[in-house]
This record gives sequence, C-alpha cells and structure tokens, in this order.
Amino acid sequence: MTLPKSDPLADLPWPKPEAPREEVSAAIRSACTKNLCPMKGMSVGTRLSLCLALSSFVAVVGYWFGVRHHRSELGLRTGVYGALGWAIVQAAVLFVGFTPARGRASRSLRLALAIAVPVLFLGYLTYSAWSYVPFTQFSHGARADHAWSCGLVALTFGAVVSGGVLLAWRGTDPLTPRLSGALAGLIGGIGGALAVGIGCPSHEAWHLWISHGVIVLALAVMGFGAGRRLLAP
Amino acid sequence: MTTYSVNFWPALEVARLTSERSPSLAESTSERLMESYVDGEAEAFELLYRRVSPNLMGYLLRLTRNRERAEDLLQITFSKVHRARSSYLRGAPVLPWILAIARRSFLDERRSANVRTEDLSPDGSLPEQQHEERPLPAEVSDALEIALDRLPDTYREAIVLTKITGLSVAEAAQVLGATETAVKLRVHRGYNQLRKELEQYSRTP
Repeated sequence: MTLPKSDPLADLPWPKPEAPREEVSAAIRSACTKNLCPMKGMSVGTRLSLCLALSSFVAVVGYWFGVRHHRSELGLRTGVYGALGWAIVQAAVLFVGFTPARGRASRSLRLALAIAVPVLFLGYLTYSAWSYVPFTQFSHGARADHAWSCGLVALTFGAVVSGGVLLAWRGTDPLTPRLSGALAGLIGGIGGALAVGIGCPSHEAWHLWISHGVIVLALAVMGFGAGRRLLAP
Repeated sequence: MTTYSVNFWPALEVARLTSERSPSLAESTSERLMESYVDGEAEAFELLYRRVSPNLMGYLLRLTRNRERAEDLLQITFSKVHRARSSYLRGAPVLPWILAIARRSFLDERRSANVRTEDLSPDGSLPEQQHEERPLPAEVSDALEIALDRLPDTYREAIVLTKITGLSVAEAAQVLGATETAVKLRVHRGYNQLRKELEQYSRTP
C-alpha cells in the first residue's frame, strides 16, 4: 500500500538521508565485523516444529496421567480428539503470528487472533461440558480442591509450552513483541489446558471454565508482559 | 623476478575472486545481505551498512533532533543488530526490522532520560529552559526542516518514515506498531499542519 498519487506536498524538497560521521561509521564497522563468525540460528521450520513438539509432549504427559488414573476410554478419546483439533489451531496461530512470509501478518490480524482464539476456546470448553452445578456448590469442598489442583497443573503445563515458544522465538520481534508474547502465552495456555483436559475426569462447566479456560487468559496476559523483554532484540 | 611472480599471481587471483563476488553481493537485496552477514561475511555487513545507515541516521536525527544523540543511538542500534543477528528470521524485511530496533532504543533512552535527576541552580530551583530563537529560513528546504521540527512526534515520525526513509505505509505501520489506517491519518494530519506552516513562511516578506 502506498500513499495517494495526488500527494499535495510531493514537490517539496524533502531532506535527503544523511550519512553518519566517518569515525562513527568506522567504530560501528569495527564493532560489527570483528571476529565475525557464522551464526547458526534456528530456521523458521525448526522453531515451529519445536513449539508443536513441546505442546505434543505435554499432551502425552496428560494422556499418561489419564491412563494411570484409570480414566474412561471414551473420556481419553474425546480429550485426544480435542487436542488434535486444537493442535491445528495452535499451528495456525504460530504460523500466522510468528513466521515471516513477507513480514509477519498485520498487527490487526494478529490482534484479532489474540482475541478470537480464547473466545473460541472458552466456547469449546462450554460445548464439551456435560454437567452444571451452581457456583456456590462448585466453590466449596472437593470440587474446589480438584479445581485448584487441576488449575495448577494446567498452569505448569501451559507455562512450559509458553516458555518454550518464547525462547524459540527469542529476539525475533522488535516490532510488536508484546502482541507476539500474548500469542505465545495463548498457544501455551491452550496446550496446557488440553493436556490437563485429556487426563482430567471432570466435565463440569465451572471446572472447565476456571481450571482449564482461565489459564489460557492468564498465560496470554503473562506472555504480553514477558514479550517485551524476551522477544524484542 | 620469480619471487615477484609467485606473490603477484595469488594477489591477482584474490582480486578476480573478489570482483566476481562483489557485484553479486552489491546487487543483492538488503535481506540477502543480512543473511550473508549472519553467515559471517563482513563484506555483506559493509554493503548493508552503506545501504541502511543513511536512512537510519535520517530517522534518528528527526527523532532526537540532536546529531550526537542520533549517532549514539545509531551505534546502539547496530550493536543490537549484531547481537541479535542469529535471531533474524531469514526472508523478513530488514529495513523495518532495523528501524524498529532503532525506535525501541530511542524510546528506552527517552524513558531512562525521564527519570534522570535534574541539576538544580545554586538557589535550589530548576534552571530556566533556554528557548532557541531561530532566524527566518532563507530556503524552502530550511523552512521545511523547521516545520517538520514543529510537528507533534507522532505526525513527524509517520511523515519521516514514509517520505524521507521511503517505507511503504504497511512497513511504517509495522515500525510504529500502529494500523495502516492510523499511519495514513497521521501522515494526512501532518501534511495539513506542514502546509499551514509553509503558507505562513511564504507570506513572510
């Protein structure tokens, strides 16, 4: 996209770019070419694969946990199918949000993803809930204890994936590091929530929203905060 | 004679190889030069620096309005580029990437300057700020420089990136972290303000 052709100030004598002083240039050249060695940074494909592998790893841990605690076969299968479906969404968010085809996707598209994906995920959790108890019953006793433990495990899994995504793409985004950080948190949060979803026997709506869903939002916020420090060069 | 020829021919061979390689590198895109620099080619950095530094310096000069600060920031920016070269994503546009690093460095520097302690005058009060009186410009280009200086930061940055640095609106939007519509709006409003300033200049006898 360029400025309109009928640029009213096009004929003005706009300042020409200015070169820095020669001694400044010499200092920069010397600093940047001294002992220059090839840097083997990870390729985009490797970074993408690493992030997806990490997400798959926590899903496998969740599956192992479910099998160990004798979760029903139907529950396990539902969790795995859900995880596979959302893995496609995670891959799409990673691809659109982090890879530079001709520069990254526009900021507005990535912002739309950062808003739409958690909303869709909460919708998915609502859809997959089989039972509903009032919040007053949910917030006491064994249900609350289970929600806490489930939430902590989901947060840990999510933090592992988000941390991996942030480290894999470390220093790659000087333009919108906070937004990329939020997307990394989002990917990790979904990974963690799905991994816990495979192993967790509860299909109660409040449990899914709070223990599995809110983690996604929390990690997106944390990613937003960490993005500036980790993703900007 | 023999010694001379032994030393001379390898030198010619080096010159031939360099002349064979240089045109291809010199004609490369900035992205290709950056990739070669990441691969450890100093010559690629030289070419990239020659291509990018005037635009970067012009941008930093108009951000800081001070040559020494601009040159300091230029050095900081290139040292960050050097350190972060392994994280450069091959194929990504280089100029917006480097400009964004420069802009971040400028904002960081300004933020730290905001918390810097002020020197008080002997009676304990803050010293009066000195307002620089500028003479009336003799040329349109000088008037334009002054008018650009008077623009609000957001308008000036958008105009400098699109008119002086030569970025597209989309690339400028990436550097500024704004939408393309916002950049167009800033350029448009900046133009209006520039026009008013320049009309005042043309009316001055």
